[in-house]
Amino acid sequence: MNERRLAVNRLRERLPVDGAAIDRFLARHPSPVVEGERATFLFRGDADEVRVRHRVVGLADPLPMKRLPDTDLWAVTTTLPSGSRVEYQLETRRGEHYETFNDPLNPKVAHSPMGSSSVCAATGYEVPDWVHHDPEARQGEMVEDVLRSKALRREQPVRLYLPARYTAAQRYPLLVVHDGTDYLDYAAMKTVLDNLIHRLDVAPVVVAFVPPRDRLKEYPNHAPHARFIARELVPRLAERFSLVDDPQGRCLMGSSFGGIASLSTAVRYPGEFGSLLLQSASMVFTDIGSDHGGGPYFDPVVKFVNRYRARPSRPVDRIFMSCGTYEPLITPNRSMVPVFRQAGMTVRYVEARDGHNWEDWRDRLRDGLSWIFPGPQKFVYE
Amino acid sequence: MRTILLGPQRFMTTAGTALRSLGVDGPVATINAGWEEREDVVDELDTVLEGRANHLRLYHRTFDVLAKDDVFAAAALAFRDRHDALLSLYRLRLNHSMEGVYDVVRRTRDSSGEGRVRGEGAGSGEGSAFGAVDDAVEGVRHVDAWYAAQLKSLYAELDAAAPLDSSGVIAWHRGEISAALADCAALVLTGGHVGTLLRALRLFAIRIPDELPVIAWSAGAMALTERVVLFHDFGPEGAAEAEVYDRGLGRVRGVVALPHARRRLRLDDRDRCAVMARRFTDQHCVLLDDGTALELTPEGGLPRGARILGIDGAIHELGGGSPGAPSASSASTPTGQGATA
Repeated sequence: MNERRLAVNRLRERLPVDGAAIDRFLARHPSPVVEGERATFLFRGDADEVRVRHRVVGLADPLPMKRLPDTDLWAVTTTLPSGSRVEYQLETRRGEHYETFNDPLNPKVAHSPMGSSSVCAATGYEVPDWVHHDPEARQGEMVEDVLRSKALRREQPVRLYLPARYTAAQRYPLLVVHDGTDYLDYAAMKTVLDNLIHRLDVAPVVVAFVPPRDRLKEYPNHAPHARFIARELVPRLAERFSLVDDPQGRCLMGSSFGGIASLSTAVRYPGEFGSLLLQSASMVFTDIGSDHGGGPYFDPVVKFVNRYRARPSRPVDRIFMSCGTYEPLITPNRSMVPVFRQAGMTVRYVEARDGHNWEDWRDRLRDGLSWIFPGPQKFVYE
Repeated sequence: MRTILLGPQRFMTTAGTALRSLGVDGPVATINAGWEEREDVVDELDTVLEGRANHLRLYHRTFDVLAKDDVFAAAALAFRDRHDALLSLYRLRLNHSMEGVYDVVRRTRDSSGEGRVRGEGAGSGEGSAFGAVDDAVEGVRHVDAWYAAQLKSLYAELDAAAPLDSSGVIAWHRGEISAALADCAALVLTGGHVGTLLRALRLFAIRIPDELPVIAWSAGAMALTERVVLFHDFGPEGAAEAEVYDRGLGRVRGVVALPHARRRLRLDDRDRCAVMARRFTDQHCVLLDDGTALELTPEGGLPRGARILGIDGAIHELGGGSPGAPSASSASTPTGQGATA
């Protein structure tokens, strides 16, 4: 897209314009204005400074906006490759007062446990149709459960997903999901499972959604957590449900610190699980020294990953990994792929032009789940 | 023996026409166990079969057996576990073996300067001179044969653990099914889940008399062959290798049935198709797409015009006379397609 042809530059060429002209411009151009591989962020209002806040590695953060002369319209244009999806907020400064908020001109919002963010979707990005409720898809059943955990010394809630038409006459693989409640709330995972199983993309699977209590403590290589998963949760579920009695039928899954929880649990209990599904796993490491830049919460992560990299083991057969190319964890994730492969594991690694967020993880679920537990498409010839 | 293989019936319904072409009167037995829990949703099928259908309900009968025969149910579950474990190992070996084939094909093609796989005899490049492709494909056949032999052993174990002939409930169902088949003028096998269909056919020891005309499509057509091959190049997990799954009823000989070929196979990838045809070179890989209707010859051979994969990776019409097309006379001796260079 030629810079001169950008909508905001055409508006600049017409300056000075009155407020009504800007009203018409905004009515005609939903914000951000995506034109080819360029995105123009807009803000209207009085402020001393306006900036776009995002965490896209490679772009300046914050991204300062400029006021169009003699107007209250602010704008900044940046590159946005096809297929990209970026979460952002706007930040204003009025005197010493800073305020951060979602883009009032953009109705697209993504949610997470930390709140919400505005979403800028580039050309080529589409929300997968399988994340929306499909009335044709048979609904799986959610079962609330609570386990008395000796390892964790507490009552541990678990939300169980049983696929539609669950029957004890068949055996089902088991997927254990870290940050389970967040996957249900922010990645629509119940709907995704219903749809992907209905479409034969994914095998009918029993899923245990496990929420943490203190994830920053329990997820980075925490022995009680691993013991709870491997020695309490899995045996309990195997007693209750008709599960595949083989490591190949058991997978641990998680994103960010949940990915570390999955990997470290598998490393502590090698051979218990056949596969891992790791999304943007926080596999931060150092090659020398201990200055990893991640803050104290990452200390146990780095210690674990460094130790693993020094003596890689093969706790599972297969690993599905995904990571956003715009997140800081892209380099550690890329670096771990050859390490896992050299340790003898089969690795499927997928990248997306997205960040460290729940909708990125949601959008990769089909790739991961269909690879870990392929559905019966190959068997069905209508 | 009259057998008609049809393409998928979802978008182009030809089963009614095929039935009328048989010119038979009387009830038509149907086996649609592949539809699984939708087995009783038969309104459209009833209409197509002009209200003459007698549904054998093998899927529901299977669940009746599982509910009433604990010994068989336990043995069947154990068999599924063992079969899944075997399939897992088979796929592991198969994928590695196929990767080897594709590597050799690429090297052979590159060194011969050809655009696609060539027959060993026709290749002039250095890479093809050593018979590398044929030998690599032979390795895949060896893996297929290993799997088939192991599966046969598993069936023997299942039969030993829960002899089907000694089950009262199975015998009762078999009796009903035999009686129904004896009263029918034709048999229809529909599509659906081919694994479920094969399990039901085996459980109830379905034997189709030679004199009973049969119409089959999709999974039903696959079940009639000697060797059921699963395939799907466009699954969400990416192109998967075709895999031998189980033996079929063997009524249709020398044929690998490929329903929905255009939707499920990367037919534009000549190398891939060529490897498939060479892997199953003792059989014809027959494309059964929408609108296809093949009435087999009385000897069970393919008719002229059947569309098959040649070992050059192209689609040929049997007996079409093109340089790569096997003659119709080779239909019952599939190695005849070796003429395809």
